[in-house]
Amino acid sequence: MLDEFQTGSVSALEMFLEQVGYDLTTLNADNKTDLQQSQMNDVIALAPKAIILAAVDFNALAPSVDAARAAGIPVIEFDRQISSTVSDFTSVAGTIEIGHVAAAEVERLLTEKNGSVKGKVLQVLGDPGDPYTLDIQKGFEQKMAAFPEVTIISQPAMMWEASNAGTIVSDQLLANPDIDIVFSHAAHLSVAAVASLEAAGKQPGDVYVMSSNGAPVALQMIRDGWMQVEVEQPLYAQAAAVAMFMDKIVAKEEIAPGEYDVLGLPSVVTNEAWGPTIKIPGAAITPDNVDDPSFWGNLKPPAAPVTPVD
Amino acid sequence: MQPNQRRSLEFALDNLVWFMLLAVLVVFSLTVPNYFQLGIFANIIEQSSVLGVMSIGLALVIIAGHMDLSVESVAAFSAMATGILFASSGIGMGITLTPGWLVVPVSILVGLGVGAAIGALNGFLVIKIKMNAFIVTLSSFIWVRGLVVASSGGRSAQNLADELRFLAIQRVLGIPLTAYIAIVCFVGFSFMMAKTRFGRHLLMIGGNENAAFRAGIKVDKVLMIAFILSGAIAALAGWLLAIRTSGATANLGAGMLFNAFAAVVIGGVSLKGGLGALPGVYAGVLLLSSINTAINLMGLPAHYTQVIHGLLVLAAVLLDTLKQTIRKKLA
Repeated sequence: MLDEFQTGSVSALEMFLEQVGYDLTTLNADNKTDLQQSQMNDVIALAPKAIILAAVDFNALAPSVDAARAAGIPVIEFDRQISSTVSDFTSVAGTIEIGHVAAAEVERLLTEKNGSVKGKVLQVLGDPGDPYTLDIQKGFEQKMAAFPEVTIISQPAMMWEASNAGTIVSDQLLANPDIDIVFSHAAHLSVAAVASLEAAGKQPGDVYVMSSNGAPVALQMIRDGWMQVEVEQPLYAQAAAVAMFMDKIVAKEEIAPGEYDVLGLPSVVTNEAWGPTIKIPGAAITPDNVDDPSFWGNLKPPAAPVTPVD
Repeated sequence: MQPNQRRSLEFALDNLVWFMLLAVLVVFSLTVPNYFQLGIFANIIEQSSVLGVMSIGLALVIIAGHMDLSVESVAAFSAMATGILFASSGIGMGITLTPGWLVVPVSILVGLGVGAAIGALNGFLVIKIKMNAFIVTLSSFIWVRGLVVASSGGRSAQNLADELRFLAIQRVLGIPLTAYIAIVCFVGFSFMMAKTRFGRHLLMIGGNENAAFRAGIKVDKVLMIAFILSGAIAALAGWLLAIRTSGATANLGAGMLFNAFAAVVIGGVSLKGGLGALPGVYAGVLLLSSINTAINLMGLPAHYTQVIHGLLVLAAVLLDTLKQTIRKKLA
């Protein structure tokens, strides 16, 4: 639990699950796949009502998911979708979709800055061994392929470490002084990116900055003028969706596909090859809507309790 | 061999890492687009600040024949302490002092105090309790990083006080003030190692602890100071890291330990102790930063950085072995 999204997720899941009558115990895998596999083995032995898993590695945890389900324990994938095996429920914003939202915002920002969709984007990924960042990159570049006049330079910040992102930005600013947008795959990387921009003598708005996950620090940077867009992962809604369906998951009842209202966000449940999945779309946070209390980065959890789906 | 030839050979052996650095800079300047510019060289020096300072403390303990694996976590803890106290966003308390510049010495003292305390604990366990330094400092590496996560709750502290950020933004001759702090540290500690009794004692203890003891050197005291210095210097590195990134996150500095080890080994410090000089370590740090920068500019996947670092360390150890063989023949 080394970033604010993960710690925020734990708090939100605890709160919403308590509202529907469940206690949550949290284990921290410290971003280590092997540790998470061991934790899964241990937890299976404890026979909980259900396991909520934010998989470090999308594929490596599949055997652990299978083992839990074989032991009769339902498994819920939270935020990180495992598509290589079947789970009982998946609640995600969709990493590919985050990339799509980011691409739409890049399209808008470049048009605003350069008159058309052309320019140079520095994409600062997280750790290159993490499929989460690779999926965002995939979604982003899928959409950006339609704009041949946009050059994308992609560099990974090893271990999601902020100073690595700062180093990449300071080097690239010299090699490519015409960079229009820096797009980091997490808000804490953007903080270091902004520090490098500031150290290079840039003023807010000289180079556009955007990132994803919607952490409080990103919203603060939008208010300070350094950041133009943050693609939010709807943390509260993702957690609330788990709580809304928890009774059905534990009772192993069918979850009907269709539209559901999750904390006011229209969300769709579909039956996928990997099981029932609710996708809650991420939103683009800009200076115009940054104070919207529904963004988890404003740290104002919903006052109304969630109710289980009948 | 003629005395002149011998002197030249010894000079080359003593400064091998600087020649390697020069060669690497020339090759990259000729082959990597946009590499040859003053701004890039300034970046290399700036990016070396944190790792450089951290490597000094590590080198002191290794020269003394021991090990300190806790430097990375100590740096992270110092960065987080600085962030929590003096950053205004996230979990930062945004403490302000009057006059404002007081935040610089106060934050340094907080960091140094934290680092020195952890270093003293490491030293006590190794020297007084006679525990293995590798295990003691490995344990510190883990529990201190745990403290970083626990104290921050996984959240970050951002927007460091302007007086601190000034050190990262203000440039003299194109280089930020933080880099000068690192350079002053290298000059100061190099002088200490070369010209003071403490430095000579460290080398002697690292070469042969029993012989140093029999020669009347207060081995325990010198080693304890080395561990405390290592902790305090790592904390200074963390303070610089917080200033560089304008705050702290729970995983800040992750992976730096291995780069610090690489720099120390490439810089010619023997892992067996008793051998090595800090200017060589600084050259090792610059060498690693030069390679990182080249990889950034070439657009190579970052995995290559690790591959190249690993091969470079291996090459450095091979060269070191070759150096020792040549020196034996010269003797």
